[in-house]
Amino acid sequence: MLLEVLQGTEAGGFILIQDSVNYCGRHLLKSCINAALKREEVVHVLGFEVSQEELNDGLDKTSAQRLHFHNAYSDPLGWTGNSPFTVHQFTLEDIGTLLKQTPQAKAVTLVIDSLSWILRHHDPAAICQKLQALKKGGVVRAVIGLLHSDLHQRGTVGSICHLATSVITVAPGTRGLGAFAKITRRTKSGKLMQDEEIFSINEDLTVTIQSKRSHPGSTPMNTDESEVDPTANLTFNLRLSDTQREAKEKLPLPFVFSKEKKSALLHPGTGSGRILYEPDANDDYDQEDPDDDLDV
Amino acid sequence: MFAELNSILNTSPDSFKPGEFILVSDKHTDASFLIHHFLSFYLRAGCKVCFLGLVQSFSHYSAISQRLGVSLTQAREKGQLVFLEGLKESLGVLLQASKGTRTMDFLRDPSSGLRGLYDFVRDNVRGAVGGAEEWGPPVLLVDDLSVVLSLGVSVGAALDFSHYCRATVCSELQGSMVMLVRCEAEEEEESDDEGSERLLRGLIHQCSLTLQVQGLPTGYCRDIHGQVRWITLFVCVCVREWKKREKEIACYM
Repeated sequence: MLLEVLQGTEAGGFILIQDSVNYCGRHLLKSCINAALKREEVVHVLGFEVSQEELNDGLDKTSAQRLHFHNAYSDPLGWTGNSPFTVHQFTLEDIGTLLKQTPQAKAVTLVIDSLSWILRHHDPAAICQKLQALKKGGVVRAVIGLLHSDLHQRGTVGSICHLATSVITVAPGTRGLGAFAKITRRTKSGKLMQDEEIFSINEDLTVTIQSKRSHPGSTPMNTDESEVDPTANLTFNLRLSDTQREAKEKLPLPFVFSKEKKSALLHPGTGSGRILYEPDANDDYDQEDPDDDLDV
Repeated sequence: MFAELNSILNTSPDSFKPGEFILVSDKHTDASFLIHHFLSFYLRAGCKVCFLGLVQSFSHYSAISQRLGVSLTQAREKGQLVFLEGLKESLGVLLQASKGTRTMDFLRDPSSGLRGLYDFVRDNVRGAVGGAEEWGPPVLLVDDLSVVLSLGVSVGAALDFSHYCRATVCSELQGSMVMLVRCEAEEEEESDDEGSERLLRGLIHQCSLTLQVQGLPTGYCRDIHGQVRWITLFVCVCVREWKKREKEIACYM
């Protein structure tokens, strides 16, 4: 499903890529941009978090003229006084003005890197309204946004996710197996589809799906088990072979009074010691066995 | 400068990657030894260093750098090192002795943010044009950024400050930046997002290399002082245990 989301964006789509400190979603964002450029779409990027050089690194050079980077990185708050684009200009009118700089009849994809920057300086409710208006307004065909989910409260992240038609949550995969993506997709009819996939991003920013439905929750347990093995790398042997394990399990515990022990105590075998007792004159020798009344 | 750290990071004063933002964080231990390492590293590399010393005095860093073989006093006299002595400046602000500078404005009005501090950094990393000596790419060192949170500055303002510094020092001037952030040893709470943990997460998203210094998970040990995780591009490269000796640190796998 990840490839479908990256490839086909219906009009009015809003793709949200959610990442955290454990895995950076910017590579996947660049894959989305590349895919849009290859589809001959015009892409406008509101770049708050990284510079133009860093974002363009790896993108398809042949479609560079269709990519328009609006520099909100060098001075997003207007501190120097001559900023190309500030965070306060994130309004429908200003975005519309930006898009009119490149008058094209074709549909435009708007990429926001990142929504976290904007949410830090604007009220989340206002941002949601603007995103909804962007989706519905017909100014842009599709919106792709990157959100760092661990920098905001759950309610804010949830509100933005509700607006999105597709949400891709990325997390690190097990070592050497690429990254994990959980995709939630809402169709226009209201149907909700979910999928989980392991993917990796190649040098040319194309995405390869490696396997499906492998929960990242189960794999850390396996790696923990294989990592922490206290019987390894010792100078003495703590392990048991199969025969040793069998013998150990057969061994009776010392203080368990089993049937064998009872008969061994009561009926001593030949060769065991005998007691010869010659009573003295002063001894009160009773012939009866004092243990007769014991119920053993 | 610790030679073993250089070999692990695969750098040397003669060759290091430009435009790097290195974040040093610590929890349950003291990672300031890394700040001393980077300070002497970049001074030996001939870079112009701007040091925001917000928690210790100049003489503290000078004494330690002397043992690492670098003289901060000389570097300052030559113009290679610009040192903001936060503690001394703050006294001036609070006693209203010096009114000219806006650098430590956030002490009077924490809600105004760290714009004054950024202006100080911007003016000092660009360097004098036609100066006596040509220094290498500029370097910004901050020790430590989390202290502004306890002075009333918001996490957002601190992140804005680090963003602007990165845009100017790393992207525009192709210099390097090293920041130290201290985490309080408290449990994470969902509702309490304002804190050093949120600042740390925001900075991890911005930086290119994170060095997380922690105490050993097994507790105090006399021989091993802690462990360091090297995280670059969000992938944990390695975890090493370290021990601080007189003039060197030893790292063990």
